[in-house]
Amino acid sequence: MLITQELSRSLPNNIVIQGDEMTRPFECDALSMYQQKPLAVVLPETIDHIKRAIKLCKTNNTPIVTRGAGTGLSGGALPLENSIVLGLSKLNKIISIDPIAQTAIVEPGVRNIAISEAVSEYGLYYAPDPSSQIACTIGGNVAENSGGVHCLKYGLTVHNVVAIKMLTIDGEELILHRNDSGLGLLALMNGSEGLLGVITEITVKLTPKPAAVKLVMAGFEHVRDCANAISNIIKAGIIPAGLEMMDQFAIGAAEDFAHAGYPRDAQALLLCELDGDEVDVQQELDKVLLLLSGASLIKVANNEKERLSLWQGRKSAFPAVGRLSPDYYCMDGTIPRRYLADVLEKISHLSLRYGLRVANVFHAGDGNLHPLILYDANVPDEQQKTEEFGTEILKLCVDVGGSITGEHGVGIEKLNAMCHQFTPAELAIFHQIKDVFDPKALLNPGKAVPTLHRCAELGNMHVHHGELPHPHLERF
Amino acid sequence: MNIERIQQRILDAEKLQIIGNNSQLKSTASNTLDMSPYAGFIGYHPDELVMTVKAGTRITEIKSILEHKGQILPFTVQHNDSATIGGAYSIGSPELRDAVLGVKVIDGQGQILTFGGQVMKNVAGYDVSRLLVGSKGRLVAVCEISFRVLPKAYANTVKTTITPNIDSQSQVRERIEYGLKKVFDPKGIFI
Ligand SMILES: Cc1cc2nc3c(=O)[nH]c(=O)nc-3n(C[C@H](O)[C@H](O)[C@H](O)COP(=O)(O)OP(=O)(O)OC[C@H]3O[C@@H](n4cnc5c(N)ncnc54)[C@H](O)[C@@H]3O)c2cc1C
Ligand SMILES: Cc1cc2nc3c(=O)[nH]c(=O)nc-3n(C[C@H](O)[C@H](O)[C@H](O)COP(=O)(O)OP(=O)(O)OC[C@H]3O[C@@H](n4cnc5c(N)ncnc54)[C@H](O)[C@@H]3O)c2cc1C
Repeated sequence: MLITQELSRSLPNNIVIQGDEMTRPFECDALSMYQQKPLAVVLPETIDHIKRAIKLCKTNNTPIVTRGAGTGLSGGALPLENSIVLGLSKLNKIISIDPIAQTAIVEPGVRNIAISEAVSEYGLYYAPDPSSQIACTIGGNVAENSGGVHCLKYGLTVHNVVAIKMLTIDGEELILHRNDSGLGLLALMNGSEGLLGVITEITVKLTPKPAAVKLVMAGFEHVRDCANAISNIIKAGIIPAGLEMMDQFAIGAAEDFAHAGYPRDAQALLLCELDGDEVDVQQELDKVLLLLSGASLIKVANNEKERLSLWQGRKSAFPAVGRLSPDYYCMDGTIPRRYLADVLEKISHLSLRYGLRVANVFHAGDGNLHPLILYDANVPDEQQKTEEFGTEILKLCVDVGGSITGEHGVGIEKLNAMCHQFTPAELAIFHQIKDVFDPKALLNPGKAVPTLHRCAELGNMHVHHGELPHPHLERF
Repeated sequence: MNIERIQQRILDAEKLQIIGNNSQLKSTASNTLDMSPYAGFIGYHPDELVMTVKAGTRITEIKSILEHKGQILPFTVQHNDSATIGGAYSIGSPELRDAVLGVKVIDGQGQILTFGGQVMKNVAGYDVSRLLVGSKGRLVAVCEISFRVLPKAYANTVKTTITPNIDSQSQVRERIEYGLKKVFDPKGIFI
């Protein structure tokens, strides 16, 4: 019997979805340049449904691509031709909230923002706030170790997860806790991109809402001055809740879109948010204002409305840039912050060389760059040129001691770039780790870690326009 | 002592017991790999809140360097004056694991491997640098560690008590931990 038939037979109605029309919404994640329909989509309503699906898939050697909301930006939830998609969006209950311990236990399909909404009445919130937070799921956040604007001060997902329950490919339950003795298996699961297990329950840490929040905007005539200001703030012993930077192109685009009152003539714009007790925040604000003396313009939001309006420009920067071009490609490299000005300069040189415009939006506090490359997929070669440009940016990040991805994950998108960041021996260790959890390679196979083969080919052959020779051949 | 010397020791050995300053372990084994001479600072960028040190560096020394720049360690190590950062890493605690950004290690086959880096955010590959916190000298020899530090003003956010470990052994967990031991030390030289 076919796996699809077996699944339909063993699970209640409406759980298994088949057919071109029905599976279309699941053919890609937010990296929509890659699309593939799966054999079927399974939308479990209980943990037992997941167990049954895993068991059948294992027996039939059918790969499983777990999916949250599909907002991933690296093709992590992209189906395989011979896989099912295990979509967890129906598992969206908040199981319990403990306002004293400041934790909540939730199902994996709960949306990120729904946690903060549910605990708001206790004066609490869930700190990691990816820009996609109204849509993305907490299970997806754990699988990607997602970040957000506030992670400089409050940490990434890995710092805000107390425990998880997961199912192995054998359908066995494994409970992992922050305080477990022994190896850091919980940390390992954070950012494992659906390759090691299916996360079925998450205990998150909650954070008290700050009593006071202040936002400062500063415009600079030189990128370097802005970078220095950021260093000086941290050196002065202040960790802002948010520290975001935009370059002139991004400033203009955001201003056209959101009318936030950004200075269009500035070469760089800094948003610095301080939060905490009333008194502390005021003291920090006074210090920050002194440290920003090199700015050409400084504005402190006087009230909540002004604060939100200043954030609006930054938060809509992607769609704002998107309006200026038929397509754009979002990069996610990280760098040690001291190289910021140099890296931005090199990116602008590359931009000239490739003849493609770039807008830079930047989680400045933690060195996470989001260059947005503008292109038109309908122009022959332009998508390939864009990917090549992107790869050069990522190499640049690795070469100054950074990483090819700060928060969006490797997925299918950055497999080639992984060859630049890791040696064959390190990649082999990654494959062996996967092998410990999933010896038959049924969980999201082919994602996150490139084969040694692929890297060898990349290294040995001239890659023309990012195109591999013999593209029709399968690459393991 | 340089890293190639450590590598050679591992390549030559049949069995090795890794020690930091032997402050807690109190090993009396004869075939020890003493990591304490592999000490010193590799990089410290106060404005990036990142420090990179060799594993044999003593916690007390790290603290005094941080002190000069008005910064602190974001975790508490229960230690005497001779405890090393490599020993503290290998024993592990949730807060230390939170602070780790990257490591350079040598595995049981003598391979020098780097995982993570010197940046706050890095999701390329599995998070091996946090996985190995708590590996008790049985998977790898830890050579270099990068970790996050904090301004002194945030001292009140640092837990001063030692979090009690949960003993959560289960068959699945045992199998996975054993599998991971085999990944890093297939010949079982680290005892
Ligand atoms: C407009 C926009 C803005 C964004 N902003 C940010 C940002 O600021 N910061 C940031 O970090 N990311 C951001 N992202 C990326 C994305 O939202 C995050 O990666 C998010 O965590 C993905 O969650 P998801 O539920 O959509 O997961 P999906 O895209 O469905 O899946 C992502 C990966 O996780 C795996 N997975 C999902 N659920 C589970 C589970 N329960 N168990 C095991 N594996 C699982 C999948 O197999 C896949 O590999 C943004 C995306 C968009 C579209
Ligand atoms: C049995 C025991 C219980 C402990 N309990 C706690 C506790 O509850 N809380 C706490 O904060 N600290 C605890 N510690 C840590 C201790 O307080 C010291 O911080 C730690 O042992 C470092 O001391 P050391 O450098 O002399 O290491 P040692 O005492 O020499 O070694 C400690 C452990 O780390 C390994 N090790 C040391 N250096 C390396 C290296 N470079 N690479 C790989 N492995 C290495 C050793 O093999 C050994 O397993 C414990 C230590 C031990 C041995």
